[in-house]
Amino acid sequence: MKLLFALILAMSFFLFVAYLYCKSPAFSPLHSEALRPRHKLFLFVLFSALSITGTYLGLPVQGAIANTRAIGPILAGLIGGPVLGAAVGLTGGLHRWWLGGFTGFSCGLSTLTEGLMGGLVHLYLVRRGRSDEVFRPWVAFTTTLVAEATQMAIILAVARPFADALALVEVIALPMIAANSAGAALFISIIRDRQELYDQVGAISSARALRIAERTLAVMSRGFDAGAAPEMARIIHQETGVGAVAITDAERVLAFVGYGAEHHHAGTPIASDWTRRAISEITTTYADGVHERYECPLSRDCPLHSVLVVPLLVDGEVVGTIKLYEPAHRRFLSFNRTLGEGLKVLLSSQLLRARYQEQKSLLVMSELKLARAQVNPHFLFNALNTIMAMLPAASRPRDLLNNLSNFFRANLKRNNELSTIEEELEHVSAYLEIEKARFEDRLAVEVEVDRTLLQLRVPTFTLQPLMENAIKHGISDMLTPGTARIRIYRQDGAARVDVEDDAGAFDERKGRGDGLGMRIVDKRIRNLLGEGHGLTTSCVPNQLTRVSFTVPIPVAVP
Amino acid sequence: MRALIVDDEVHARASLKAMLEATGEIVVIGSCADAIQALHALKAEGPDVLFLDVQMPKVSGLQLVSMIDREQMPHVVFVTAHDAYAVKAFDENAVDYLLKPVQKDRLARTVDKLKRAVRDGARPTFDSPAIERIPCTGVSSIRLVDVSEVEFVRSGPAGVYVVTPRGEFLTELTLQVLEAKTDLARCHRQVLVNVRQIEEVLRPEPRAAVLRLKSGKEVPASRRYFLKLKERLGLRRDGKYLDPLS
Repeated sequence: MKLLFALILAMSFFLFVAYLYCKSPAFSPLHSEALRPRHKLFLFVLFSALSITGTYLGLPVQGAIANTRAIGPILAGLIGGPVLGAAVGLTGGLHRWWLGGFTGFSCGLSTLTEGLMGGLVHLYLVRRGRSDEVFRPWVAFTTTLVAEATQMAIILAVARPFADALALVEVIALPMIAANSAGAALFISIIRDRQELYDQVGAISSARALRIAERTLAVMSRGFDAGAAPEMARIIHQETGVGAVAITDAERVLAFVGYGAEHHHAGTPIASDWTRRAISEITTTYADGVHERYECPLSRDCPLHSVLVVPLLVDGEVVGTIKLYEPAHRRFLSFNRTLGEGLKVLLSSQLLRARYQEQKSLLVMSELKLARAQVNPHFLFNALNTIMAMLPAASRPRDLLNNLSNFFRANLKRNNELSTIEEELEHVSAYLEIEKARFEDRLAVEVEVDRTLLQLRVPTFTLQPLMENAIKHGISDMLTPGTARIRIYRQDGAARVDVEDDAGAFDERKGRGDGLGMRIVDKRIRNLLGEGHGLTTSCVPNQLTRVSFTVPIPVAVP
Repeated sequence: MRALIVDDEVHARASLKAMLEATGEIVVIGSCADAIQALHALKAEGPDVLFLDVQMPKVSGLQLVSMIDREQMPHVVFVTAHDAYAVKAFDENAVDYLLKPVQKDRLARTVDKLKRAVRDGARPTFDSPAIERIPCTGVSSIRLVDVSEVEFVRSGPAGVYVVTPRGEFLTELTLQVLEAKTDLARCHRQVLVNVRQIEEVLRPEPRAAVLRLKSGKEVPASRRYFLKLKERLGLRRDGKYLDPLS
């Protein structure tokens, strides 16, 4: 009885170690099928130490040691397979042999055997596709029971003199079998509980991520803008429970919800270095609030101390960021950190989908516009040709009709997504000749083009609509004569296109693209040349309106 | 019939003039390139008919109609390339419209209609939109003054002046038109005031009042108009501005 208590005491020490191990940061969920070498080495050291400790904690009985050494190798085998089991068994066994005594060799041998047995059970279960059962306490119990019984048999078979061995086994067999089996089972059950906790947390976080996905999908399908952002921020704030959530585009804050909302306002430019770095380096930035503190650039009284900034990507370009904050009194949960990374992937793919939808609807709109304006081209060009034939050869009306037919012909050509700047200029010039005739001395046109850029490709139908806009909303609304200007030149390694008028009538409040035409041009440029290439507009009231975009110059074009 | 053509495109004006004169019914007494020139010509010439382009710089054809004094209101024919829908806001019997390019027989029908209307002596009335910006002529430029910017408008021997914090500007519009088509209120036979600019009502003598504006300028209010103005100001009998004139 005394022996049993001593063994239970030794076993308790193991359970204490198991508990400590589970609580330590070294613990990570064990998946018996896919252990990394590093992890295996760690398990080898851990279980070998347990095995040797088991020997020392044992009780000397008749020149031998009643002990809990077997738990180490058996569990190592069960969790890590035969090789790990044998390795731990060999270590524990050699150590026992080295200690000596008449059972020294037999006990050493049996420890190796027990490690192997654990490994064989592991192999059996994994091959049957039941690897989860490795972590069942009753599997550990039974395996240990059988292994300890085998040990007794080995002692009887190998240790000499046999009479002493028999006497020893009679005393230690039952307590050792019972204590080791129970110990192994409890050890496994502690690990398993911990493992289940991990899985539960994982399940909660997946459920949360899925709920965010579901709720944001409808919002995001409208696109990523100041309209959708507040609702998204609210959803993420609700679901994650972090202190505050902000959403920005590449330049300014679109929405802010939570602590500090009184000084973090939507519409203000991005002020934080963490966000700027996330955008410029296309990486997640994180200030944990302990080693690195988030310092609010807006207010000294800001309660927020930690921040995670994840960039949102569409086609490899940052279109904005999502920021999760925690105030000083709360720790930034690693759980939310993982979730933040997940959000990046999720929202980025939703954005891609939204963009696809938008392109589709733009296409439908422009097709409709085209269908409405459809005239049989044969009829149109033949009619123009006939009228021109009736007019004197070198007359102005004839020139104008010629320009008109060139203009229509360019409008019909839409199979190419890209045209050269030269083609675009021809289209504009046909249009301008007609407008100059309409407005006579009220319209002057200046064209300054770097001729080396003429072959550069730009989206079809960009220049003419911009010029039409400048005339329709600019010069035609002037009481005095006006000048429209196209300038195409090199700037910072790209080609820059300016379309200007001196009416200076662009309405800032309406923003860029006051009509479908301008919006289509803007979207086409962005879609074909990239997000960074949309239209930019500047206006000096009553003096100048300038609409510009840049075109990257491919290396092939000198 | 004496007609005035208003269109910002020179070729369009020339073509319409030729077509109108070819009917033999119409004498074109002038053509103007914008609404401001047109206001001047209307006052000077008093035409029977106005052929009016809709899309013009600064002041559209539709807005121009709002600016014409009822006494001088001619018959109006809108001439437009595409946006006939805008014209349809007017009563169909009151105005006619032509599409560019103008068709000869369609023009003939319009001229017939005009002849009948002139013979019957019918005075056209329009339910035209409110005036938001008042065209004013400076020494060398034309300025459009936002109605909200106006402090008051006064008429003097030289014409009607629009008074703003940035100065006084002469306008072709009459006090009658401005009173009808803006929310400026009459406070004197020769003065309209922007009610929102009134700071205080002073009473230097029992039979008249003086309105002090936010800028410190003072505007006279005669008894006749002050009664109505009081209603707009919402002055109470027991209020701060209790009125000695009533």
